[in-house]
Amino acid sequence: MKKLRILLADDHIVMRTGLRALLERQPNLEVVGESENGRETVALAAALRPDVVVMDVGMPVLNGIEATQTIVTQNPTVAVVILSMHADESYVMRALKSGARGYLLKDSAAADLIGAIHAISQGKSFFSPKVSRILAEDYVRVLKQKGAVDTYDLLTSREREILQLLAEGQTNKDVATALNISPYTVETHRSHILQKLNLHNSAELVLYAVRKGIIS
Amino acid sequence: MATLSKLAGQDGEQMTQQEPDRPVASKSRNREWFGSRAALFAGFGTLLILMATVSIDSLYTLQAFEIHNTQIRQEFVYREHTLEQVRTGVYESGDIISDYAVIESDPQSHERLRDEFQSIRNETTASLKACIESLPADKREPLQRLADELERYWLKGGRLLALLAKENKGLGHSALRSDVLSQYAEVLAITREVRAVNDNELKETDWRIAETFARFRRRLLVLGMIGFSFGLILATTTIVYAGRLEKSLQEKYRESLQAQRELKELSKRLVDAEEGERRAISRELHDEVGQSLSALLIEVGNLTEVCGEEAALRQGLQRIKTLAENCVNEVRNMALLLRPSMLDDLGLVAALDWQGRETSKRTSMLVETVDENVSESLPEEYKTCVYRIVQEALNNCSKHAYAKNVRVVVRQEAKYLRVSIEDDGKGFDTSRVRGLGLVGMNERVSQFGGVLKVESDPARGTRLRVDLPLPSAPADLEN
Repeated sequence: MKKLRILLADDHIVMRTGLRALLERQPNLEVVGESENGRETVALAAALRPDVVVMDVGMPVLNGIEATQTIVTQNPTVAVVILSMHADESYVMRALKSGARGYLLKDSAAADLIGAIHAISQGKSFFSPKVSRILAEDYVRVLKQKGAVDTYDLLTSREREILQLLAEGQTNKDVATALNISPYTVETHRSHILQKLNLHNSAELVLYAVRKGIIS
Repeated sequence: MATLSKLAGQDGEQMTQQEPDRPVASKSRNREWFGSRAALFAGFGTLLILMATVSIDSLYTLQAFEIHNTQIRQEFVYREHTLEQVRTGVYESGDIISDYAVIESDPQSHERLRDEFQSIRNETTASLKACIESLPADKREPLQRLADELERYWLKGGRLLALLAKENKGLGHSALRSDVLSQYAEVLAITREVRAVNDNELKETDWRIAETFARFRRRLLVLGMIGFSFGLILATTTIVYAGRLEKSLQEKYRESLQAQRELKELSKRLVDAEEGERRAISRELHDEVGQSLSALLIEVGNLTEVCGEEAALRQGLQRIKTLAENCVNEVRNMALLLRPSMLDDLGLVAALDWQGRETSKRTSMLVETVDENVSESLPEEYKTCVYRIVQEALNNCSKHAYAKNVRVVVRQEAKYLRVSIEDDGKGFDTSRVRGLGLVGMNERVSQFGGVLKVESDPARGTRLRVDLPLPSAPADLEN
């Protein structure tokens, strides 16, 4: 089996050393490079063409989120997992918008990183359980405070099914194949879902799914 | 005046003695006194006293002149009158003597004429005596001489009358008669003399009055000149004093403006320094301590993987993991409290969103943040300013207003960054309440030349509005 090639981006050498040790114990993972700032990461990603980039948010020169955006734009097949100190939705949202597929908290990296790398390398989304929990709690709390109706109830069961698949990172085509319907039908469902939930793009859709606990 | 200035000088000394720390050269102290308020008071006081004295003196002098003048004239008239009476008496007595000698011959008529002569004599002598007694001793001489001569005349006349009564047509009386006649002439001559003296005296008095008046005029002129000069000096002093006051006032005003500017600059630097410190500490905590702890966690994870199945070791590692996780949380919260990394990593909008969410979590308020057209490349200090203002406002909303809903709107326009924070809390009277929080916000806003407005109504909650003028160059072009 082909090993997954990984690029580690973190400005702290202790962090990189720890992560490298963690990853190299896995037989099917291989750390192909390390970088210590955003710009170097972009350059290395272009040169090494890794399968997965493990990206720290706070890095000098160019921060992790902006670096992610550049890397994903240049090479959409690269899967980026963000390592962050913050379980806040602003960060998650920005990470998702920048094209990252996974969002991990540093303090749970040891437990979740391996799983996250495998998930995102298969095109799925991955969030630290703690992040999912916090986002879901916030969502419920705001709904309660506002006394608003949970828009999720407006979705049909088919739409919920499609929402989950899309949020997991699957493309319209994948969903169409999985459900044995046409990609156009999937697209129609998708736009209904966005409209009903008052969402505007895929990143918001994923965030919504995380908040609702549909994916994690 | 000399006493006054001496007194005032002592005052001045006392004043400077009260401030012994300040060394003042005596010359400058004198100069200081020259234009001081005490000197002005003394000067004006003296001028007023001088004017009052001159007025009272003039009035008094004029009145005295008038009284004196009237008295002299009355005395003159009185003497004239007495002289006239004497002359009349002498004429009449002369007539009586003639009548007595020439016309009448019966004893009864003689008796009547003698009585008449006697009464004229008494009357005239009494009048003259009264007049003499009314005069001061040194002026009695001419009248006294008149009185002596008159008395002699009366004696001679009386003797003549007595002689005529005895021997009417005798020759013995002709000598006496001529004697009486010469005495008669003598008295009349003296009356003329006295009259002349009297006239002279009046003239002399008039001349003396004129002279005194001239002296009075001179004195008035001199006093007027002194008053005028004094007034002139006083006016100059006043102008000098006012000028110095004005100058010192301007100086003070300039100093206070300068102090105000410096204070503002200082407060800006203080705010900047505080923010810088916070950011540095926050970064240090977050990047160094936080990252190291995260790395520690990963290492613990790695260790757990390789340590095998020994329970004690695994439990120990688990405890270390828990401790480190707690530490990470603590450090993260501390760092965020100091300065949220979102502000630097993700920009103002994300930071405000985060703040809103955190406030909603901590309190029972629902915070809604709305951003319109807010550029991520706003200058750093603007981001910080808005963030801190919103932070303070949210703090107020939850602490004092007991609000349920807060709406934060940040809107960027061509020339302004507008922020409004509205709550549905209990509001307050803006004219009376001015907490330190609002003062601090105002201070921040005024550093950018912005305006902070608070509209509050006890019934309808509070609305805080901040308008910050943006730098003239579009912020987007700076990067």
